[in-house]
Amino acid sequence: MVKKIALFILISAFLNASEFDKNCLNCHGGDFKFHVIMKKYTLKYSSEEKIKEAIFGYLKEPIAEKSILPSEYIKKFGVKNKSTLDDETLRKMIDVYYKRFNLQSKLY
Amino acid sequence: MYSGERRSIIYVLGLYLSSTLLLIVTLFTGYYFYEQDQVLHDEKEILKRYATQVEERLSLLHEENDEKLEYPRFENFKSAIYDIDKNLIFSTLDEEVKKLDNNFFIKDSKSYLISPLSPYYMGAAYIVVQKETKDINILSNLIYIAIIVMFITIITSFFLVNLVLKPIRENIKLLDNFIKDTTHELNTPITAILTNIETIDSSNCNEKTLRKLERIKIASMSISNLYEDLVYLLLNHKTSLQNVDLNLSQIVLQRVEYFANMANMKKIEFVLDIKESVHFTADKQKMERLIDNILSNAIKYTNKATKIKIALDETHLTIEDGGKGMSKEELDKIFTRYLRFDKSQGGFGIGYSIVKSITEEYGMEIDIDSKPNKGTKVTLTW
Repeated sequence: MVKKIALFILISAFLNASEFDKNCLNCHGGDFKFHVIMKKYTLKYSSEEKIKEAIFGYLKEPIAEKSILPSEYIKKFGVKNKSTLDDETLRKMIDVYYKRFNLQSKLY
Repeated sequence: MYSGERRSIIYVLGLYLSSTLLLIVTLFTGYYFYEQDQVLHDEKEILKRYATQVEERLSLLHEENDEKLEYPRFENFKSAIYDIDKNLIFSTLDEEVKKLDNNFFIKDSKSYLISPLSPYYMGAAYIVVQKETKDINILSNLIYIAIIVMFITIITSFFLVNLVLKPIRENIKLLDNFIKDTTHELNTPITAILTNIETIDSSNCNEKTLRKLERIKIASMSISNLYEDLVYLLLNHKTSLQNVDLNLSQIVLQRVEYFANMANMKKIEFVLDIKESVHFTADKQKMERLIDNILSNAIKYTNKATKIKIALDETHLTIEDGGKGMSKEELDKIFTRYLRFDKSQGGFGIGYSIVKSITEEYGMEIDIDSKPNKGTKVTLTW
């Protein structure tokens, strides 16, 4: 039973990860500094819940006021396009993103 | 030391010491709380510095891009960080802090400071720093100082009391000398009067003169009694002490005889129940003073045409009158020297004071049973 559950978690993690590659890395590319963005969100929003909420809010409505990036950057490059992913997928992708790049789990 | 001096010293010392003690307690309590506050303030300041150190290290850590980040650890203290929703991020504390509302607190000899953080380096919104509490051991030192101060105060107060009592002591000495001289001067005329009355040939006197002589004799006896009491007191009870085997029965009868005239004047009848040959080892003069004082009081305060019962056996002497008696409050103060409940009667109020000192000297117990308007019963037990 334990083995089955462990296998299920492993498979779902793998599936989520590959979905993240498909849904996110497709556009952002390999050189996108995910960890820098996570640092900025952590610095501003602190907790996992608030960080995920802020990312979700921005991706659903990408406006300058909601962006974590400096206004000079936004003025120069503008905001990104609105995400086409449905809410559930979007939240899943944010979970994967948080899990992969959050600062807390790096601490030892 | 004159009578009441000890009490005066105790009162003055009590007043002085209690006020000084109050002052010391107030000052030391204030100082103790101030010091305690100061120690806590210092602890808080140290913890604030530690929190700043953690913050600095977190800000540096936040900029690092390594896969694994080492949480800052320090020798002097331990720390933990919490996110904005008060979830624990990382901790090196001995136990988890449940509430983050209290800014500073001490628990199990450890002091804690919770310092808010912004921006949230590594996601930390709160830094908790913990260190071993410095011992607040000022109380024992304060107690030592207080004892020393009290000791000095007690010594000083003895000097002060002596200084305060010096003029009073001088006045009392002056008064004592005056009474001594007066008493001494009384002796010769009283003896002369009493001796001469005894030697008057009553057969040559008519009844009226005889009555007058009787009154003079009684009055002289009263003065003589007073004289004896005063001598007893002035010599501070240090009258010549010759403890011999006394026939108490005889002495009681003699004293009854001595007071017979005085009793006759008030038509008082003595009812005697005296057992023969009751012996007691004591000084004769003191025994006479003891019996005289109880008897003269009984005669003085009893009503006219009543009876005074006198009973003596091997262990008791009882003198019971049918006089005005005393209230409970009066009874409580009966042995106080110079205190008289009935100013209409003569005397200095020293009778029972003498009675008490003699009974104490010979290990006798004195029991006074008195009811207002019914009479007084004095029982000596040995």
